[in-house]
Amino acid sequence: MLEVNRVCSGYGGGVVLDGFSLALKAGEAVALVGRNGVGKTTLMKTIMGLIRPSSGSIALAGKRIDGRAPFEIARAGVGYAPQGREIFAALSVEDNLLLGDLAARTADEAYRLFPALAARRNTPAGRLSGGQQQQLAIARALMARPRLLLLDEPSEGVQPTVVAEIVAALGQIVAQRGLALLLVEQNIEMALALVSRFVLVDQGRAVATHAASAVAADPSLLMGALAL
Amino acid sequence: MRHAAVLLLDSSNAVLVLILVSLGLAIIFGLMNVINMAHGEFLMLGAYGAMQLGRIGVPFWLALALAPMLVGAFGLVIEELLIAKTYNRLIDSILATWGLSLFLRQAIVLVFGPGSYAVAAPDVGAVQIFGGPYPVYRLLVMALSLAAIGFTFAVFFRTRFGLAARAVVANRDMAACLGVNTRRLDRITFAFGAGLAGLAGAAMAPLISVDPSAGLGYLVPAFLSILVGGLGSISGPVVGGAGVGALDSLTSAFYSPVWAQLAVFVAVLFVIRVFPSGLVATLRREA
Amino acid sequence: MKSRLETQDLAALGALAPFLVLPFVAPTWLAGDFAMYFAYALLALSLAFIWGHCGLLSLGHAVYFGVGAYAMSVTTLGMIPGLASLRSTWAGLLLAIVLTGGLAFALGWFFFAARGLAGAFLGVMTLALAFIFERLAINASWLGGLNGLMNVPALTLGLNGGAEIVDPVAVYFLMLAVVVAVTAALRLVAASDFGVTLAAIRENELRVAALGHDARALKIRAFTLAGAVAGLAGALFVTQFGFASPSLIGFSLSADALIWVALGGRKTLISALLGALALRFLESRLSGALGALWPLALGLIFMASVVLFPDGLFGEAIGALERWRRRR
Repeated sequence: MLEVNRVCSGYGGGVVLDGFSLALKAGEAVALVGRNGVGKTTLMKTIMGLIRPSSGSIALAGKRIDGRAPFEIARAGVGYAPQGREIFAALSVEDNLLLGDLAARTADEAYRLFPALAARRNTPAGRLSGGQQQQLAIARALMARPRLLLLDEPSEGVQPTVVAEIVAALGQIVAQRGLALLLVEQNIEMALALVSRFVLVDQGRAVATHAASAVAADPSLLMGALAL
Repeated sequence: MRHAAVLLLDSSNAVLVLILVSLGLAIIFGLMNVINMAHGEFLMLGAYGAMQLGRIGVPFWLALALAPMLVGAFGLVIEELLIAKTYNRLIDSILATWGLSLFLRQAIVLVFGPGSYAVAAPDVGAVQIFGGPYPVYRLLVMALSLAAIGFTFAVFFRTRFGLAARAVVANRDMAACLGVNTRRLDRITFAFGAGLAGLAGAAMAPLISVDPSAGLGYLVPAFLSILVGGLGSISGPVVGGAGVGALDSLTSAFYSPVWAQLAVFVAVLFVIRVFPSGLVATLRREA
Repeated sequence: MKSRLETQDLAALGALAPFLVLPFVAPTWLAGDFAMYFAYALLALSLAFIWGHCGLLSLGHAVYFGVGAYAMSVTTLGMIPGLASLRSTWAGLLLAIVLTGGLAFALGWFFFAARGLAGAFLGVMTLALAFIFERLAINASWLGGLNGLMNVPALTLGLNGGAEIVDPVAVYFLMLAVVVAVTAALRLVAASDFGVTLAAIRENELRVAALGHDARALKIRAFTLAGAVAGLAGALFVTQFGFASPSLIGFSLSADALIWVALGGRKTLISALLGALALRFLESRLSGALGALWPLALGLIFMASVVLFPDGLFGEAIGALERWRRRR
């Protein structure tokens, strides 16, 4: 589904990703872990087209998407819930969701997935709690039925009960739709509930891969890569 | 009494047209981060367009509908050829549109000559206001301006397109990541803004002196309206335009146009000192 | 950074050479023309400093030029009540500089208050000012109204009057000397701590303020300096042109100045200066032949340059020279 091949990219001429390679199959869920600044968010932004890679290629279901505009990449089937959520604070929950798919008649499916949003459909999104905003960001990204979902630090600033709700909803969706999931997360427990593989990132490269079962049995496998 | 009523009506006319022009400018700025220094020239093109269509026999009301569309189409071309090339470079977009305004003014001089034209207002009669006649056409222009302003707000707040536009204003990158076609939106926005200015020009053609510098007299007040009202909101130009337009036309009537310009400038200077984010943002915060 | 400084200075010295010999190889009237172009060049320098270096867009920059011109005229025509016998060019220069510097200071004080005006909105306010001043000048009958003030005497070097310098070659070298001096002075200012901080403000004002600098005060100071230089330009101009009119204050000349600096190159003082000289010269040659097509062509070239060579013609040339030097 997703093939990232030796991508180099960065900000303003600087290099953050230095030959990053990664492959994701349809329906596969992978977690990226690593210290702050190693390039996880940069990778997300590069896949999404917000940053243009200086070399390497990115392909979605076989078609190259590097160098295309973000809206083209979104329409090709990539959903993105960035770090910090970036919901439109002045717009209502319903408006935020409809922006995920402007052709949609209703946002009912999103409401089924996240009932907390249904109760607040006309509330300005800026008034929601952190957890509700995260649900909104994910629901919004799912509106257009993407084939690949990019999630950057979804549990940040969200209370544990809501994290569990999100995990349940995501698990449901991933299974139902065969959605490929790329997750950046510091919360290992949450990641373990969702993914089948962990990729360690260091200095702009993927340096190691561990199966989720291995990490569940021995979390110290990730110790070296995490900032604690 | 009659004098006051006429003054009020004329001022309202001026205010509404100013709001129309400022709205187009603000939308272009809010969405595309482009400062269109040629916006006054779009107004001028609307006036000349209406005039020329009239000369070749097009009935006035049809010309009034056609001219803004022609200006809008021209805006599309300009967006593609010039504006899109200065994406993300604010100062360069200012210079590019500045060059365009100089070019357009000179082109008009070459085609129509430097003098001014008078366009005949359609004969729709006059109403009696406190014992004296007041041209119905002026009332129609006000109604038209209100309708256009209302239409713009309706599009912005009641359509999916408007929703996408508001999202792009709020957070362009995120809107793009959701699949909003920002390129197409830019084009439509610029054309729409140009069309609004063209409409103002076409409607005002019978009421002003149609000459190449007709647009310049609107550019600065439109900018000042946005500055006073506040950037980043669509109600900004409405509030700002009302203030600037009212002050300008009232001072003009009681003193002179020269003093009016000075008064507006000084007033804007003080307003932005006290409310650096503009009036709308400050009022919103108090609310 | 160091080698870029040298390239533009080398270019400046290289450009100076032909101007030193011009009066000896070209007809006298050309020297006279260029003497006036030098005044315009000073205006371009002022704009390049405030806009190119400090990042403050002044769309109505001719205001200071015009005020300087009127100040000089009013002084040397003996129009100042109580000082009718004053005929000194020096007094005129002083008044011009004080008035324009003061005006720029006052404006800066308003414009840069609180969060301050930035970018296009600063530009529009300065443009509005140009319109207003032009209107005021047209309406001021004591300043000659639409026709302005005529028969402004030429430069005199004496303390109060003295022999008028009318020989075009002499005026030429005098003006050249002023241009060289002002260019060198602005160059030194740009390279000083003050100048470097201003450049930093242009790039990222928040960061500079966070580092403890009073960005507002610095901007006001820069604005004042630029205004005074433009005022000097106007004052010197009018001694050659012979009359001060509202057109020297308003939109038209401001737009011209903007074109010179943008087409020449706003990043270095010398490219803006050369831009002004080149365009003024070209206009005198071509506008006769091209007539109404000249402003059209200018507008087109301007648009093309913004899209294709944003560093300006001379700016790109200096850039190319720089790259060539680096390779050696």
